[in-house]
This record gives sequence, C-alpha cells and structure tokens, in this order.
Amino acid sequence: MPIQLTSQAYCKMLLHTAKYPHCAVNGLLIAEKSKEKKKDGHGVPVLCVDCVPLFHGTLALAPMLEVALTLIDTWCKENNYIIAGYYQANERKKDSKPNQVAEKVAARITENFSEAAIVMVDNSRLTVSCSEPIVVIYDHHENKWRNREVTMGSFEDWSEAQKITSALLVGRSYENLIDFDNHLDDLRNDWTNPVINKSVLDLC
Amino acid sequence: MASVSELYDVGWEEMRDKLRKWREDNSRNSEQIVDVGEELISDHASKLGDDVWIIYEQVMIAALDCSRDDLALTCLQELRKQFPDSHRVKRLTGMRLEALERYDEANKHYDAILEDDPTNTAARKRKISILKAQGKNGEAIRELNEYLEQFVGDQEAWHELSELYINEHDYGKAAFCLEELMMTNPHNHLYCEQYAEVKYTQGGLENLELSRKYFSQALRLNNRNMRALFGLYMSASHIAASPKVSAKVKKDNIKYAAWAANQINRAYKVSICKQHSDILKTTSFT
Repeated sequence: MPIQLTSQAYCKMLLHTAKYPHCAVNGLLIAEKSKEKKKDGHGVPVLCVDCVPLFHGTLALAPMLEVALTLIDTWCKENNYIIAGYYQANERKKDSKPNQVAEKVAARITENFSEAAIVMVDNSRLTVSCSEPIVVIYDHHENKWRNREVTMGSFEDWSEAQKITSALLVGRSYENLIDFDNHLDDLRNDWTNPVINKSVLDLC
Repeated sequence: MASVSELYDVGWEEMRDKLRKWREDNSRNSEQIVDVGEELISDHASKLGDDVWIIYEQVMIAALDCSRDDLALTCLQELRKQFPDSHRVKRLTGMRLEALERYDEANKHYDAILEDDPTNTAARKRKISILKAQGKNGEAIRELNEYLEQFVGDQEAWHELSELYINEHDYGKAAFCLEELMMTNPHNHLYCEQYAEVKYTQGGLENLELSRKYFSQALRLNNRNMRALFGLYMSASHIAASPKVSAKVKKDNIKYAAWAANQINRAYKVSICKQHSDILKTTSFT
C-alpha cells in the first residue's frame, strides 16, 4: 500500500526542514486508523494526514526518541491515528539517502504498521516556490528499502500542497514550527502545532 | 517591506544589543541576524564605533548562511579595507569560498594562513569543516583527533568530535569526548545529560545504570532539565524490567522511576500544556 501525503503533512515536513537548514531533522508521519479491514489492501493508498516533527541536530541517540515514540503513540490512540511512516532530511545538501537511524526507526514503526514508509527530503531541490515535490519515498520490499517514483498521485492534492507550502515558506512560518526538541526545551511548546495547522486550514 | 525597527518598534541601540546577545550565545539564527544586522549597518554604521567591525564579521557569516553573497561581500570588503593583513579576515574570505563550494581554493587560503602561523586554530578547524561538508566524516574525525592532541583544551572541538562519533554510531568514543568535557565543566548539566544519552544508547545493563546516574547528576545540576528527568524515568524503568538485576536493585529502580514519573506529571501540570498532561496519565509511564 503506497502512502499519500496531505498538504498539512507535506508542508509541515518542509517547514521543519527549512527551520533548521544547518541540521538534520526527522519526524513521524501520521495516518488515520482505517476502520474496515479491506480484504485486498493492495493498491489502496494510506493517507498521511499529518506529521509530528521530532528532532533537529543529533538524531542518533535513543532515549528521547523512545520518549517521543511513546507519547506520540498514546496521542495517536486517543485520536484514532496511527504512526504510518518516518521522514528525515539529512544535514548535508546533497545527501538524501536513508541512513541507519532512518532504517532503525522505520523498523520500529513497521512493528505496528506493516506498510510503514520512509520519506526522505531532497534538500538540494528545496525552493520557496515548491515547483516540484521534493520527497523520495522508500518502501520495504524483501528486506530492503527501495525508492518508489513520486508522482502527483503521491499527494492528496499536489497543487494545494504546493500553494500552501510555498505561502508558508515565504511567510517564514517555520519560525513558529514546534518539534519535539522544542517541547523538551519548554513543555509549553505544543508539538501538535495547532497554530501552523490553522494556517494550513486557512489557506485551503 | 517594513524595516526591522518599524516592525518591532526598536531603536538602533536595541538592535546593536540584540546582535551582541546573539554573539555571546553563539546562536545560529542567521536570518534574524541578517535582518537586524543589515539594517543596522546601512542606517547606523557611524554610531556603532569600534563595534562595527565585529558586527560586520557576525553579519557576514550569517549572510553566508542565507546565501546572501552580496551582503557577505560588502561586509568582507569593509573588513579587508580596515584590516588588510589580518588572518582573521583571511579566514572569512575562506569561509565565503566554502559557502560557494569552492573548497580547493578555500583550503589554499587556510594553508597559507597555517604556513604563516602554524598555531592558527581557526584555519585548522575550517579545514576540518570542509571535510565534514564533503561528507568525509572519517577523515574529519582523524584530523580532529590530531588537532585535539595539540589543543587539548578546545571544548568546542571536543564537542564537535563527540557529535561526529555519534553520527558514526561510535558511542564509546563519543562518551570519551563527553567525559573530557564533564571533567573540565563539572557544573554543566547539558554535558552530563548528553553523556547519559550516549550511555543509554550504547545499551547493556552497566551502561544503563551509568546513564541513570548521569541523568540524576544532570537533574541535580539543573532540576528543570526535562531530558534528564525523562531519561531518569526511562533508564530506571529499563533497569527495573531487566531479568538480570537483584530484587533490591529492581525495587530501588522502581522507586526512582516512580519519583521521576511524578515529577514529569507535575511539570506538565504547571506548564499549562493540558493536552499532554492528559496523555501522560494514559501512557505506560505511570
């Protein structure tokens, strides 16, 4: 089952990337829990309605990642969501391959959601105009993570995603984006990002 | 586009003080520095006195971060005019070349500085940064180790090395670097907490117990360090759950974990983050 991104999920990923241009960043992709068990689940895309930005800087340490996964998992259960994937933007501009951290976290997610995907941000194509999608999506096949072609179909509505993301980048909304690191620095910082979510809704 | 002084209703002195604060904190908020600094320089340079040169340097580096080569060059040229033979300015020239990805030329600049002054630490560190930018982490680590043999007190370098080791998943060596930092900065809660995180990541019962001790130490040094509090909870919980520990150790760690969970809940209640304090009640924490 390939994943599909909503405008909110896509734009928050890019805002996180833009907020810390000199750091690696990562986060979780959130999907709605499907109520019916489809007999033939293949071909039906999993819609990632949101993302939770996690960390910036050093991504390879375990304790805070475990805390985040636990808290966010609980939040998901309360809101009928499920953690469906993982995104990462590497530190260097020309480096967009998933590394050991990405594979480890994704493996953890796969324990609860077998179709989990890794979404890597291609830093070298990050522009304010967002003229093309700049993510590379990896699925787990036969013990390897393979990248899949990203098309307009990988988005719920690409032109809406493009319009909203571009507007928020120009308006420097990323200055207000909260990730889990920011939350740990000050508990009042809300990693569900209600302010940004509202901005996205207003632009829809 | 409104100016910074209009938007935030600040005068030039406040802008100058803000830039100084950012210098002292070593913050990398380059977009803000460019916004404030560019206006300060163009409208109030004459009022800044000797501060203007350090501000040119600060704004130049921030401009490089924001791909504002025009602004960077302006600042660089002012600095070159004022300090024609300065190694410090030469280093800035090198940094501009790095930003333009002209790494070979940048290296030549730094080599020229080092020929003239082999003890110039800034040039050596820039060369290591180039290796890092090129993805040559192994070489960067080697060079940084060599550098630290000579300049053993350079804390920024020890910290950089610990980060490089963490990115290479060499947690043992990262821990060693943080041990150096803790020895020379025994009151720094951040180093304690990072060391604890590295030990936790290394795994195994002994490392978990060490990690719990250092999370506790970090908390003693700063009882508002949330990472240390969460870390204490996680490490104590894992130790208590381990089949290899004695009944007493298990009991003690359950106590520590419970205390930490209590403190976490209190911290959330106080923080008005109601949504999350509710979540904690239903999480496996309590």
